[in-house]
Amino acid sequence: MSEKIKKPFKLSRLIRKTIFYLFIVTLAVVIILPVFFLVSLSFLSTREAYLYPLPLLPSLKARYSLTYGERGYLLSVYDDFNKEYQTVLDTNDFEKMSVYMHSQIGTPFSIPEIEEVIKDLESGPEDTVYFSARKDLLYNYDTFFKVTREAVPALLRSLQIAGMTILISLSIGGLAGYAFARYIFAGRDALKFSVLFVRMFPGVAIALPMVIILANMGFYDRPIGLSLVYSVGSISLTIWITASIFIGIPESLEEAAQVFGATKVQSFLRVTLPLALPGLAAAAMYAFLGAWNETVSAIILTQFNPTFSVVVYQTLLGSVGQVNLAAAGGLVMALPSVFFTFFIRKYIQQMWGGVTI
Amino acid sequence: MATLKMQNVTKQFGRNVIAVRDFNLEVKEQEFLVLLGPSGCGKTTAMRMVAGLEEVTTGKIFIGDRDVTDLPPRKRNVSMIFQNYAVWPHMTVYDNIAFALKLKNLPAEEIDRKVKEAAGLAKIEMLLDRLPAQLSGGQQQRVAVSRAIAVNPDIFLMDEPLSNLDAKLRVSMRTELKAIHEKAGSTTVFVTHDQSEAMSMADRIVIMKDGEVIQVGSPDDVYHRSRSIFVADFIGTPPTNFMEVDVRKEGEGIHLVNSHLNLLLEPALAKHLNTYSKDKIILGVRPENMLLVSEDEAALSASCLVSEPQGSHQVVAIQLDDSIIKVIAPASPTILPGTAVHMSFKQETLRFFDPDTTLAIND
Amino acid sequence: MTAASPAKRFRDLGSKAVPYLLILPVVVYYFLFWLRPVLKTLIDSFRTAAGGFTFQNYIMVFTDPNFMPALRNTAIIVVFSVSLEFIAALFLALLINRKFFGSSLFLFVAMIPMALPAVAVGAMWLTGLTAHGWMNSLLYYLNIIAESHKIYWLTGSEWKLLALIIVVDAWQVIPSVMIILLAGLQNIPEETIEAGYVFGGDYLTVLRKITVPLLGPTIQTAVILRLISAIQIWLIIVLLVGFSRMPVLVERIVYYHEEVPGLDISFQMASGYTIIVSLIVSTAALLYLRASGAFGSKKEAAR
Repeated sequence: MSEKIKKPFKLSRLIRKTIFYLFIVTLAVVIILPVFFLVSLSFLSTREAYLYPLPLLPSLKARYSLTYGERGYLLSVYDDFNKEYQTVLDTNDFEKMSVYMHSQIGTPFSIPEIEEVIKDLESGPEDTVYFSARKDLLYNYDTFFKVTREAVPALLRSLQIAGMTILISLSIGGLAGYAFARYIFAGRDALKFSVLFVRMFPGVAIALPMVIILANMGFYDRPIGLSLVYSVGSISLTIWITASIFIGIPESLEEAAQVFGATKVQSFLRVTLPLALPGLAAAAMYAFLGAWNETVSAIILTQFNPTFSVVVYQTLLGSVGQVNLAAAGGLVMALPSVFFTFFIRKYIQQMWGGVTI
Repeated sequence: MATLKMQNVTKQFGRNVIAVRDFNLEVKEQEFLVLLGPSGCGKTTAMRMVAGLEEVTTGKIFIGDRDVTDLPPRKRNVSMIFQNYAVWPHMTVYDNIAFALKLKNLPAEEIDRKVKEAAGLAKIEMLLDRLPAQLSGGQQQRVAVSRAIAVNPDIFLMDEPLSNLDAKLRVSMRTELKAIHEKAGSTTVFVTHDQSEAMSMADRIVIMKDGEVIQVGSPDDVYHRSRSIFVADFIGTPPTNFMEVDVRKEGEGIHLVNSHLNLLLEPALAKHLNTYSKDKIILGVRPENMLLVSEDEAALSASCLVSEPQGSHQVVAIQLDDSIIKVIAPASPTILPGTAVHMSFKQETLRFFDPDTTLAIND
Repeated sequence: MTAASPAKRFRDLGSKAVPYLLILPVVVYYFLFWLRPVLKTLIDSFRTAAGGFTFQNYIMVFTDPNFMPALRNTAIIVVFSVSLEFIAALFLALLINRKFFGSSLFLFVAMIPMALPAVAVGAMWLTGLTAHGWMNSLLYYLNIIAESHKIYWLTGSEWKLLALIIVVDAWQVIPSVMIILLAGLQNIPEETIEAGYVFGGDYLTVLRKITVPLLGPTIQTAVILRLISAIQIWLIIVLLVGFSRMPVLVERIVYYHEEVPGLDISFQMASGYTIIVSLIVSTAALLYLRASGAFGSKKEAAR
């Protein structure tokens, strides 16, 4: 069956296909473009980040020129866009020069290396020397975690919160979702609408009174407190999604297990649960996204123990206020979410297929 | 009404799945043609290409004189009954039937008349205001039929339309569909994997296997003059019995011989083997063409394995070495397991197959 | 039939109780962590700073000079973003449902915006929309604007800002609407759609008369979820233009609570706004559900 059948060549079909894929690619580019710039920005040096027009891609090295200046040595950087060297520093202080080259241009360059260049300048015939230095591409990521001392503990805290949110919403919401899928009972409709009710009250407005409620319980400014708040929204969504998943698994499979001697609980654990597992994992990722990405309640409900999103928020708007650092932080934050999305996409139908109001 | 012609049609999915290979077919006006084959043989794909739901990889399709190969479904003037009925659940029965008519911008009275006429043919006039969810499977089937008749198509396509009905309804719907076809006189292509459905409905049957046409012919043709072992085995319940036999030319006559059998062929049959050079054939004989006879007249004797009473007759299963053959015998006397059974053949009905090519020798 | 033994009656009662036991944790949870804060806010909204009963908080909200603009801005955003997002999401879902070569990858790309955290999105657009940000740089590289001629995205008329916010918000929200619609589309049996083509429909006819009506319940779900969250939009606005520059309803709640928590009226204003927003959201949701017929068809949809 492996002989090839030659399709007759049809120009119209080729043109149609080409146009279709051009369109798809264009659409994908439009969707992804802002993200591309965010990624690119996270790799730009501070100097590049404030250039106009912004470089489309980060440079991999910087070209310098060094000459004699009024106060010492005149350091210039080559500007790829204007195609000229631009003076950035006039100093005698090698340490300052080294720090500047690293933090602003993103090229690590030690003091001995600077002295080397200056030796070249003084011994050479010309009054200017040119040299280049390789860029440290991960400088922003490095700095983000160094400058914001809370970043690493906050990251761990966020993971902990997301984990607990998954646990709470999947256990509590999953039970209700199963009840919804398998039983007819009074209040079934109310349960279905609860996802709407819960959303009708602004999330931030829930967070405000929760400050006192959680403080009374001793949960304020602690990860468990935030997961309790996040679970409210994610439980309701989990009910919907898990109900949809369980509806998709025929009840007869469970009944078959019971016929062969399993109890109801056993038949659920041994038959339905394993079948539902991939869908449930996807539901868990949903809960993760909700807890991981949330910022506002976290600002309100934490004080000394911020979440990672709060740290990024403060880098963006607060005291640090450097766009390339914020971009690096934001991307670190986006990474697990995007990664999970990659998996979720296979379960869209399982999760949402059985959902109707 | 129109004819349908498929010329060297091939359909390839992906890189190396060939669903239909070099398919040629002409359906005459008002003919009821059945595409028959096991699942995965390409019959549904062939029909979907006629409907325009599947693009043709190579080849051409004509409806009447029109080349419809590259036309979208809506421009082909075909109608179709789908396996799952595909009745639109959000429309009433009336709207389902009227859908295509409304798209043709017919005047309201004419639509009304045609809808009622079509509903009348399928006996669902009283259901016109209902939604499909309120109908049984059989009633939904009738809606699908009415919808297909109402448009007065050039070609009427049916994709296993009866396979979702229960056994009894299936048989009665057969009769009705056939009757509707007689009345409407539309050119019909009917896909099924059920050979008895095909036999009872078709003017002509096209038997397919692995994307290729194996045999085309009337129900009688494919039943009595099966062109290959595959067809002889696929058509008929119980299917044809097969026995490997040696061909021995002794003097004037030709004998078919194996450990159970020694059969002297009548001259009319023997002549088919005159030019045959190999020394083995596969002998094919239909269960009803084996006669129970007394011991001295027998060409074949063996013992009964089980007997399945059917009321009007019984099916006797007989063990021959590794294989089982079945014989249709009169209802009485009941043949008990273990008794010796003596059989002869209606010689004019025997089929000879080449064991290497599996094709029939006596055509 | 003999009367059921007490043991059997007990078992029956037990199995009837199963679904209620299963949903009990949810009910308790909602009560503790949703109903309690909601009730507390409701009570606070009728309390003076000293603790007495009053309508004053609501009067203050209604006479707040920012109330009407906030209401108006919210309404405009809701109407335009819900319709824009619905159309775009339906378009994308239909496209992806064609299952072309690479559609699964395209689906992933289309879902990325919804995965990004709000702060990352804020960083993205902030760096994009400043005068020397990447939007202008891109337009410059594409030769659409000159080097000296920068577009000042975040200044200018309120309409411009509203439009900008709707687009920026849509970029992130469309995927979540899309996946719900996509799931609905995948639920429609292919033959049902094919029948539409065979019986004379072209693409648009089939879409209008068959696909969209069959998608009805799914559309309801997607739109109601979106409607509820669109009324509560605020974070992206504050990230882009700050507080009070373009007031919307929920932004006012946060403003009084977080930006000016010291004022005497802050707490009362915040609770007043919260209750009003909730009323508006629930009214809008109910109206939508009624208008779209969700209540009427409920019985038929029951299993």
